Amino acid sequence: MTTTPAAAPTNLRRVPILKRYLTFTWITIAIVVAILIAFTFLRPSIVVDTLVTGGMWALMAAGLALVFGVMNIPNFAHGEFFMIGSLVAFFVFSPIQKAMTDNPGGSTLLQVLGPIPGMIVAAIIGFCAGALLEVILFRPLRKRSRDQWVMNTFLLTAGLSVILVNSDQLIFGSDNRGVTRYWDVHPLKILNVSVSVDRAAVFVIAMVTILLFSMFLLRTRTGRAMRAVSQDESGAQMAGISLNRIFTLTMGLSCGLASLAGAALLWLYPSTPTVGQQPLYLAWYVVILAGLGNVQGAIIGAFIVALLQTLAVYFVGIGWVDVLPTAFIILILLFKPSGLFGSEVKGVWEQ
Amino acid sequence: MLRLTAVESGYDLLQVLWGVDLHIEEGEFVAILGPNGAGKTTTLRSIAGFVPPIRGSITFRGKELSGILPHQVSRIGIGYVSESLNLFPSMSIYENLLVGAYTIKDKARVKTTMDTVFELFPRLLERKDQLAGTLSGGERKMLAIGRGLMPDPALLLVDEPSLGLAPIPTLATFEALKTLRERGMTILLVEQNVNTTLRIVDRAYVLEQGKVVLEGTGEQLLSNNHVQEAYLGI
Repeated sequence: MTTTPAAAPTNLRRVPILKRYLTFTWITIAIVVAILIAFTFLRPSIVVDTLVTGGMWALMAAGLALVFGVMNIPNFAHGEFFMIGSLVAFFVFSPIQKAMTDNPGGSTLLQVLGPIPGMIVAAIIGFCAGALLEVILFRPLRKRSRDQWVMNTFLLTAGLSVILVNSDQLIFGSDNRGVTRYWDVHPLKILNVSVSVDRAAVFVIAMVTILLFSMFLLRTRTGRAMRAVSQDESGAQMAGISLNRIFTLTMGLSCGLASLAGAALLWLYPSTPTVGQQPLYLAWYVVILAGLGNVQGAIIGAFIVALLQTLAVYFVGIGWVDVLPTAFIILILLFKPSGLFGSEVKGVWEQ
Repeated sequence: MLRLTAVESGYDLLQVLWGVDLHIEEGEFVAILGPNGAGKTTTLRSIAGFVPPIRGSITFRGKELSGILPHQVSRIGIGYVSESLNLFPSMSIYENLLVGAYTIKDKARVKTTMDTVFELFPRLLERKDQLAGTLSGGERKMLAIGRGLMPDPALLLVDEPSLGLAPIPTLATFEALKTLRERGMTILLVEQNVNTTLRIVDRAYVLEQGKVVLEGTGEQLLSNNHVQEAYLGI
């Protein structure tokens, strides 16, 4: 029996292609892409800078968006995991660096792979710290009450941020712990712009991580379960998904990404107790711009914010680096209060 | 298979169930009927672990259920299709079904179960890649039942499949439940649509004000005075 229903249900694919892309969001993306393409010819260094910084903000913002999307936690302690990552990377990389400077012209393998262990250890420790935090803080709170959850967790994470910053200061002092550079080699030439290997590496690390992270969310059983929890907790439980397990994993993953960002940017942001503050607020800019809890949007939003920052640095002055993105976000929120990619449907990946 | 003994249950300040006794045997198709607010949905939610019972016991295949979490209930073989369906709106039909099979790691088995779901609801196969949030009411019910079937449960709890549906999709849903029962699935159904329900189920309970007031086979209840007066309007 094949009867065509009189009123066919709305199907996304049936919306005319032009109309679908003539929305506010897509126009903004088109403008950003157009600016990037234009500068590829005029001022390639702007494009390179945008991509490098954007990659890192994407790592930070994706984790922040994930935790908000799945667990409804506005994590104001996210920057402290950036700090933990940079601290771990410093302590792991320092002996390696010493070994390298002690015998110059030593093993090339050590010189090429030297900074990698620090980043891996930082990501793992960040993951464990985040997971532990979920188990000892958020799980008991969830058990007690889920009323006023967003407000409670906001206060909890804001307090946690203060505690972590001060513990860092107490234990390690407020010295700058940084490295001048990870890879001591000549800069690369990309689009006629000289790019230090450290910058290029940051971009590659960010892209690879984001790709793996997206594949994880879209293709794996656990990633799918994570998206399911973000869309309907009860439905996920009916399918046999343990909320506690997914929440612990989500928090761990998000904090692990922040720590990785901290480790990869150690040469730019030396580890201090408050090093996480600026990345935290930038990640929040991105997440607010993209729409709370949307990971896909956060990744794109990170590059938009990075472009605005770069433009501010090149054309206005370095002091304006945070002003331009903020002004832009206010403007966007005036026209689209739910953010560029925000919608009524809650989900960590889907629009 | 499933036995509720003197179950009392409810929400913070509101107790809904005041001692419910019921049982369902392997392969049976049983319905719980009753007016709004009688506690039909609460009974299912108590079994599914979403509302922990205050007193009484719920046993499934001899195992005590009270105090266990919803996802554990799902894992021991009880599928639950709730009133609000709880689908994942931004996922396609295919992905919703895949998430339904979360507890099954054997990919070949997932594929076979999905094929049986598609065979039961060919409509879902046609719209496999459409987002669940854009489906019609009838399709959403089908998808919810399909997702409930994905872990291959021994017992399926279905809450008001006719709610908000036009007569034709309602009939289609009932047909699907009948087919499932013929294939040996044990089903506990909650319904308001008394007439149709009593014609397809083996047994039914009538729940009023949190207690079972009547119990019997479909035919017995259809000819019962109280049921005729209160629910069938004869």
